[in-house]
Amino acid sequence: MRGILVLVLLVAFGLPGAARSQQASGKKRRPLPPEYGRVVLSKQSEKGSVAPVSFDHWLHRAKYTCRLCHVDIGFAMAENGTGVKAADNASGLYCGSCHNGRRMDGGRKIFESCSSGRPTEQKTTCVRCHSVGKNVVPEVEFAAFTRGFPRGRFGNGVDWEAAETLGLIKPVDFLEGISVPRKSMAAQKDFALSPAQKGMPEIIFSHEKHTVWNGCELCHPEIFGAVKKGKEKYTMGEIFDGKYCGVCHVSVAFPMQDCQRCHTKPVQ
Amino acid sequence: MSRLQGVLLAVVFVLSAGSSGLFAWPRPALAQARADSFRKEFDEVCAKTADAMTLSTGELRTLVERSDRLVPLLQGLSEPERKVYAKRLLGCRNVYAFVLESRHEH
Repeated sequence: MRGILVLVLLVAFGLPGAARSQQASGKKRRPLPPEYGRVVLSKQSEKGSVAPVSFDHWLHRAKYTCRLCHVDIGFAMAENGTGVKAADNASGLYCGSCHNGRRMDGGRKIFESCSSGRPTEQKTTCVRCHSVGKNVVPEVEFAAFTRGFPRGRFGNGVDWEAAETLGLIKPVDFLEGISVPRKSMAAQKDFALSPAQKGMPEIIFSHEKHTVWNGCELCHPEIFGAVKKGKEKYTMGEIFDGKYCGVCHVSVAFPMQDCQRCHTKPVQ
Repeated sequence: MSRLQGVLLAVVFVLSAGSSGLFAWPRPALAQARADSFRKEFDEVCAKTADAMTLSTGELRTLVERSDRLVPLLQGLSEPERKVYAKRLLGCRNVYAFVLESRHEH
């Protein structure tokens, strides 16, 4: 009887208290696989009294390279750094580069981005992106979409790099009317970086793996400005703060917890 | 409503519709020609970013100069386009400059 009473008291007071203390401690909850890489774009939508946009990187990265969106289309690398307006989309820029009701994806027309001039009945498509705070059922479901993809330990739980290598995804790197026709890129050699911490395996940086997604100008010189290897020192603290590798590897690409994916060369 | 008010209302409606993207203002021929000429040169200049490492120092210098010459021509583009192309142009220019600088360092 006393045991039951203790259990009831624990449930009644203990669990909400634990939840409150976790909130109070300010500890960030690790995102669930479909949430990893999600950005909320609210800069313009709040001015326009529409719900902010919830953008999931996983769906777009499976179809398009990072370079295509962040170089050719011109999206900033920081959340809310671009300031996309409905009129920009209507002019065929930013989201409107693809979401124009004409461009095709896998035999289907990509739905048109919403604009202030669209008839009310068509505005139902607006909530497909302007979905923050709304109970929107996504047309593409994460678990179904990523079923059969190689598994990763962290982030989305998908090894995107392996998925690309195996040909399970073929990210598009050229958009007619937007991209500049370019020759395919000659891959630069991989190189090793020595960690400051003794005993840590060396970091093997693969240019080849990175250029598939990024080209040159996404990283150089904006993120990596040093022109000589070893000239600039990168600390793990800075990287965790979202600098250097952390521009992508804390938010969209596999996260920093996956140490062995960069620290790959055993200590000699 | 007076006739003047009616006319004013119509003007305000047309102006707001044009700026909200309801319909696009026809671009004057000269502005269109400037934009086309900008894009042609931009496409040529930025087509070589993937080959930057294989270009000669002279070629890289020329591409940096051509990028710089394009900057004033950005003014000929309409506002959202100008913002996009300014960022893209800077990206191209900086890659060429980066490779040039790295050669100098080595």
